[in-house]
Amino acid sequence: MLLVALFFFCGGETVRSSLHDLVITNNPLVARCLPETYSVQLWEQLNYEQILIKVRDCVYAGHRLYTHPLAGSVKPNETPYRSVVISRTAEELSCDDAALIASAIETFGKFTPRHRELTEEMLRDFQLVDYSLLCAALEIDPLEGLHHKNETNYRTRRCSL
Amino acid sequence: MSYRVMHYINQFFANIGGEEMAHVEPQLRQGVVGPGMAFAQAWKDEAQIVSTVVCGDSYFAEHEKEAKEAILAWVAEEKPDLFLAGPAFNAGRYGYACATICAAVQDMGIPVLTGMYEENPGADLRTKVLIAATANSAAGMRKAVPTMAKLALKLLRGEKLGASCEDGYLNNGVRVNFFDRERGAKRAVEMLKAKLAGQPFVTEYPMPSFDRVEPSPAIRDLSKATVALCTSGGIVPKGNPDHIESSSASRYGEYNIAGVDRLTSQTYETAHGGYDPVYANQDPNRVLPVDVLREMERTGVIGKLHDYYYATVGNGTAVASAKGFAAEYAQRLLSAGVDAVIMTST
Amino acid sequence: MKLELGYIPIADIQFAKVSKVEDGTLYVDQEALKAFLYQDDDVRQWVKDFTFDIAKPGESVRITPVKDVIEPRVKVEGPGGQFPGVIAKVDTVGSGKTHVLRGMAVVTAGKIVGFQEGIIDMTGPGAAYTPFSKLLNLVVVAEPAEGYQDNKHAYEHAVRMAGLRAATFLGELGRNVEPAEVQVFETLGIREGIARYPDLPRVAYVHMLQSQGLLHDTYVYGVDAKRTLTTILYPTETMDGAIISGNCVSACDKNTTYHHQNNPVVAELFAEHGKTLNYVCNIITNENVYLADKQRSSDWTAKLCRLLDLDGVIVSQEGFGNPDTDLIMNTKKIELQGVKTTIITDEYAGQNGRSQSLADADPLADAVVTGGNANEVIVLPKLDKVIGTLDFVDVIAGGHAGSLREDGSIEAEIQVITGATNEMGFNRLSAR
Repeated sequence: MLLVALFFFCGGETVRSSLHDLVITNNPLVARCLPETYSVQLWEQLNYEQILIKVRDCVYAGHRLYTHPLAGSVKPNETPYRSVVISRTAEELSCDDAALIASAIETFGKFTPRHRELTEEMLRDFQLVDYSLLCAALEIDPLEGLHHKNETNYRTRRCSL
Repeated sequence: MSYRVMHYINQFFANIGGEEMAHVEPQLRQGVVGPGMAFAQAWKDEAQIVSTVVCGDSYFAEHEKEAKEAILAWVAEEKPDLFLAGPAFNAGRYGYACATICAAVQDMGIPVLTGMYEENPGADLRTKVLIAATANSAAGMRKAVPTMAKLALKLLRGEKLGASCEDGYLNNGVRVNFFDRERGAKRAVEMLKAKLAGQPFVTEYPMPSFDRVEPSPAIRDLSKATVALCTSGGIVPKGNPDHIESSSASRYGEYNIAGVDRLTSQTYETAHGGYDPVYANQDPNRVLPVDVLREMERTGVIGKLHDYYYATVGNGTAVASAKGFAAEYAQRLLSAGVDAVIMTST
Repeated sequence: MKLELGYIPIADIQFAKVSKVEDGTLYVDQEALKAFLYQDDDVRQWVKDFTFDIAKPGESVRITPVKDVIEPRVKVEGPGGQFPGVIAKVDTVGSGKTHVLRGMAVVTAGKIVGFQEGIIDMTGPGAAYTPFSKLLNLVVVAEPAEGYQDNKHAYEHAVRMAGLRAATFLGELGRNVEPAEVQVFETLGIREGIARYPDLPRVAYVHMLQSQGLLHDTYVYGVDAKRTLTTILYPTETMDGAIISGNCVSACDKNTTYHHQNNPVVAELFAEHGKTLNYVCNIITNENVYLADKQRSSDWTAKLCRLLDLDGVIVSQEGFGNPDTDLIMNTKKIELQGVKTTIITDEYAGQNGRSQSLADADPLADAVVTGGNANEVIVLPKLDKVIGTLDFVDVIAGGHAGSLREDGSIEAEIQVITGATNEMGFNRLSAR
């Protein structure tokens, strides 16, 4: 009985735990820095919009959306990076989440694409801000990961299409 | 050199007569007629009305095609720098004529301007045609002329329009910045005070209208009804003859299923790229239930399954496109006498 | 709670041997100021050097990239001090007497990340869009220490502290100066307010704070706003620096610390207080990324509105995109409690003005004030002097490839201009 109660308590969506989270990202810094306990799918070959579409497909499959898909003030046509947290397990489809991710994709479409060369430094900073926003959402210290980058994590979290 | 403007007015403003003369056919007159005089005065030497089209309101409403043809031919001949219509105030058919003829002239690449009261049915075209806001009766002419004359000059000179509330045109869906008299916080407090007092206030950004569809009344006797099938699940004849895209579809297909008892994997498939197609391809009836509807047809649950079905791919397709598809084929369903539609999604 | 603000008009700023305010002129000893900034350990560790500059209204000067703008103030009577929990001790502020150096600001500028924006033009078409073109600006340009690339969180913090310290240093110079004008702001207790103004509608200000992460943060009494629950402040607390800004990306609709100190909604509500409405309090609520946080915060906002028996609120947003979701959740829930709302936002309607302006919408949000379309394109001519650097202009929000043109002018969206479409309603800019 107690175990069951505990299970329900931990399963509450407002209780943040790495065990419930799945991070969908195209930001390699996230794969390098996020602690071992987090499940991370790194899709380096996907762009910002394709990450949103990947998240949408997960939401359709019953994963819950945990973070807002348009986090941050850096506009979608400026930063190439996007990280979104969803539930690790798929349950029932949430219509609210589906509507939210759909409208995020629609909003993305409003921004005129920009074709500009991004220097290594700019890419690093865009990665840093995306990672920092993600840490803020997960309530973890971003500095910890930055100081202990893990190449093994990076390799194992990479996904290919 | 002064700009050349062509003016459109109705029988009433041309002093031909009222309702009893609303049937007069379009006629072309040289120079200024009626309200054109006031515009000419406002423009001084910068612009002039070179010719005026006069057309009866009933004639335009009842013979729109013919009226348009005649007027567009004159416009093509005249090649004015601007086509001006009205103002129509709250006269419904006049407003409709002004907006409609302006839209047609605009398609020829000529700038257009009309004016009317915001509730005039012609104002439905406000997102397409530039419409100056006027009062609801001709008593507002004195106010309408300067506004319209100024807008006309802006169009003629190729100047950028200010915000709708500055330049006096009906909101056309294009957001334009301007510096208001008071700062935002003050405007917010004033708006809240009005809202609290139950007084009228005007929001600076009307929320987009939400497309909520009222359900139609229930069908009284399904056994006599013709039922059509439609789907956003991408079921198409094998080979996808219309090349409907697997995502972000830009088109839909119309397919005849007269005499088809059930869809088979040999003859139908899905074009949808957003779900695992295996089960749909194995048995397309899972998405477009022709088999079940035929069964219902046989047992008399429904009167008839419509001979055509309509299909597109809903995967990432823009709401506006989807709406456009449906608006088109809904007309065909209506004219085919279809009573009900089952729309399947995936 | 009652606060008296004493305004000391500043008509000129000059560098000098001794720092002081005299006859409307602020004299600044750069060495003393620098030494004061370096008293902070983090500043010492992460800022290699500071340079100071003065930008005056009408001068051909461009300041970029701007991080924060701060008004120098000093507490001369009553509990606490400026920027409680950050510079001063954490005592509750908002009462007693505060002196304000009016007509000037401290502007912090300098590189933090490689895509940074924030432009203040002191003249030309861009000047009309930023309120800071009308102020005498003492610009503090920070130069990062070695190794900052790998420690940008720490560096951002150091620059933020430097700005606040500079404002504190200058504010202190006004301590013993007789103010030219005094304004009193008073908020009554709940019962007192109802007794005094039984017939006036009870109105509060719902103040939304951006709280998402690096360069997207706000601090309340030193607490990172993303770690706060929706709560209540006396309106005068914000005048004493209770809320400070840690955000500057997408500069047009980010609230600088100056905006918080001079919150226009607070000012306009006080102007009507006791006449047409009873201004009850400020409700601060965050804009977090986590969806459950959004739900909790907006639920609490609506709950407090109901608990306080409000008739109406003004809601101000900060930012665009996911804050639109917070804005609409707040508005909808507050309206459903029977409390009327007017909201202040800005728009991203595209360069042609034809796109949908907000990322979220609801019919209950029927009273909207807009700060304008941030996508509007503007050409900023070359100015004679740049304080900071133009290195980022090609990448800043709203600019596009080649936005820094050969003749030195900049073609960009107005979202690069600091405070251009401010969602507290600081400006006259609007859109239809």
